[in-house]
Amino acid sequence: MSLLQIKNLRVTFGTRENPFPAVDGLDFQIDRGELVGIVGESGSGKSVTMMALMGLIDAPGRVTADMLQFDGNNLLTLSERQRRRIVGKDIAMIFQDALSSLNPAYTVGYQIKEALKVHMGLRGDALQQRTLQLLELVEIPDAKNRMNAYPHQLSGGMNQRVMIAMAISCDPKLLIADEPTTALDVTIQAQIMDLLLRLQKEKDMALIMITHDLAVVAEMAKRLCVMYAGQVVEERPVPDIFNSPRHPYTQALLAAIPEHNKGAQRLSALPGIVPGQYDRPRGCLLSPRCSYTQDKCRAERPALLDGVRCITPLNAQGVPSHG
Amino acid sequence: MAEQTSSELLVAQDLTRHYQVSRGFLKGHATVKALNGVSFALQGRRTLAVVGESGCGKSTLARQLTMIEPATSGHLSIEGVDVASADRATIKAMRSKVQMVFQNPFASLNPRKKIQDTLDEPLLMNSDLAKAERLDKIRAIISKVGLRPEHIHRYPHMFSGGQRQRIAIARAMILNPKIVVADEPVSALDVSIQAQILNLFMDLQEDFGTGYVFISHNLSVVEHVANDLMVMYLGAAVEYGDKARIFAQPLHPYTRTLMSETPAIRAEDRASRSRCRANCPARSTRRPAAPFISAARLPPRAA
Repeated sequence: MSLLQIKNLRVTFGTRENPFPAVDGLDFQIDRGELVGIVGESGSGKSVTMMALMGLIDAPGRVTADMLQFDGNNLLTLSERQRRRIVGKDIAMIFQDALSSLNPAYTVGYQIKEALKVHMGLRGDALQQRTLQLLELVEIPDAKNRMNAYPHQLSGGMNQRVMIAMAISCDPKLLIADEPTTALDVTIQAQIMDLLLRLQKEKDMALIMITHDLAVVAEMAKRLCVMYAGQVVEERPVPDIFNSPRHPYTQALLAAIPEHNKGAQRLSALPGIVPGQYDRPRGCLLSPRCSYTQDKCRAERPALLDGVRCITPLNAQGVPSHG
Repeated sequence: MAEQTSSELLVAQDLTRHYQVSRGFLKGHATVKALNGVSFALQGRRTLAVVGESGCGKSTLARQLTMIEPATSGHLSIEGVDVASADRATIKAMRSKVQMVFQNPFASLNPRKKIQDTLDEPLLMNSDLAKAERLDKIRAIISKVGLRPEHIHRYPHMFSGGQRQRIAIARAMILNPKIVVADEPVSALDVSIQAQILNLFMDLQEDFGTGYVFISHNLSVVEHVANDLMVMYLGAAVEYGDKARIFAQPLHPYTRTLMSETPAIRAEDRASRSRCRANCPARSTRRPAAPFISAARLPPRAA
């Protein structure tokens, strides 16, 4: 039984006459203690999926799904009150820009204590002790004094650690990290990645790592979902997906990275941009940008079969199979 | 050190920029040594990449090269003219030779100006071309960066991030500068768009023979675009030389740390991990010599 199971999730924005699907029929699941990476360009629906899960999509956004189950609870039928008991406690999230996610008017210690007061009912000394313990857990030096610091007095990496401390404060079963290292330097990124991996192992959390940096997930995750325009286009174990991508989009993404173009003058870039509200293709969503497009691709939307959403998935040689 | 020859576009010698910061009421000033003696040279059609963490002085260097601020000491010569000690008129004339592309194309374009007006501005300030001639130039550069002619009548919000960065590049290139300083030009872009923009940079360099100073913290991007590489730490260059040499055999421990911490997709590219355990020391606690020692000498972390 998976910890989280999502079936056919749709999140649409825009008017009823003219809807724009940000997430378009997404299936996803994660087990206890598993580490899954989600990659995709901006606008591919990575963050919106997770916000739908947390119940953070406001009107005019509409969320529908065949199944949205977390740890035996159906998130679709839960009342706001019941949902709040899960979100922030059993499901926690880390955002990209720590400085703008923290409240500048309160000390970081106060902000960590908030969740502990609401969800764990801690007060007084116990609360103080737990906060200090959390700050030490995320390797903040001189934790006792830093507790009384305001976010602007800490560096980006330290703020990100505070965010992580806050997220793990109630021992969540699922931690969602939305681009946790994008705003940080390489050296700090490496430290934060190490920290997340260590905490995930120690606490046996499920961790969803959202990023657009393929190299980050290549080093961390066991399984990888590649998203494009609101759909999962490929979902496979990590070494396989990098060694022999089966979806043309994954192949193009990998080919666009400088690492894979050593010695070449030009990078092999994927032409065009992600389809927007008005130019969403009728057939396969990648068909306008894909170099293997056939008539069939423009006419029908492929389904996700064996972890690939393509009419002619690529074979081990990296060319389309004919099916 | 950088010997000046006729082919050198840009020569910096011991370039230094210190800032005076207030420590509080009645306390006198402290000095922040943002740039502490940097020397390098750049030729046309070549790319010098500058890497380092935030706070290492990369952007101060960019401000020096674009002559936005005067240097505290040292020499900076552009096409043989020493601009570090030049008068205002000379600097004004030299400024059009060095242009800049910024990191975030969402912030670097004026949202109230049409693309045509944005691109017209450098021409208005730096040339005495007539309106029709300026429009011809704008049309030429906009097709050069891969946009369509009708795009010049649109506002920045109507474009995607990649297209906006193309506009920012067009604005930098329209005066046909000798040097373009690009401050993290692709770090705000998605991987597939990043490749398009890097290709555009290389095509333009091929066409115009521009020299690039490419500031980045992404080593895999740097490895792709650069000819020479300068690694900065705390306002000083800790390693400077040919890119291939540095990537094959990094000599400075900080360079090695940076390389081992860059995540890699292929397992064979992953250098053995040596984690930098400390953050950049605060500016006020900087020691004069060997700035990396305080971080490098820390004991390796327990697994």
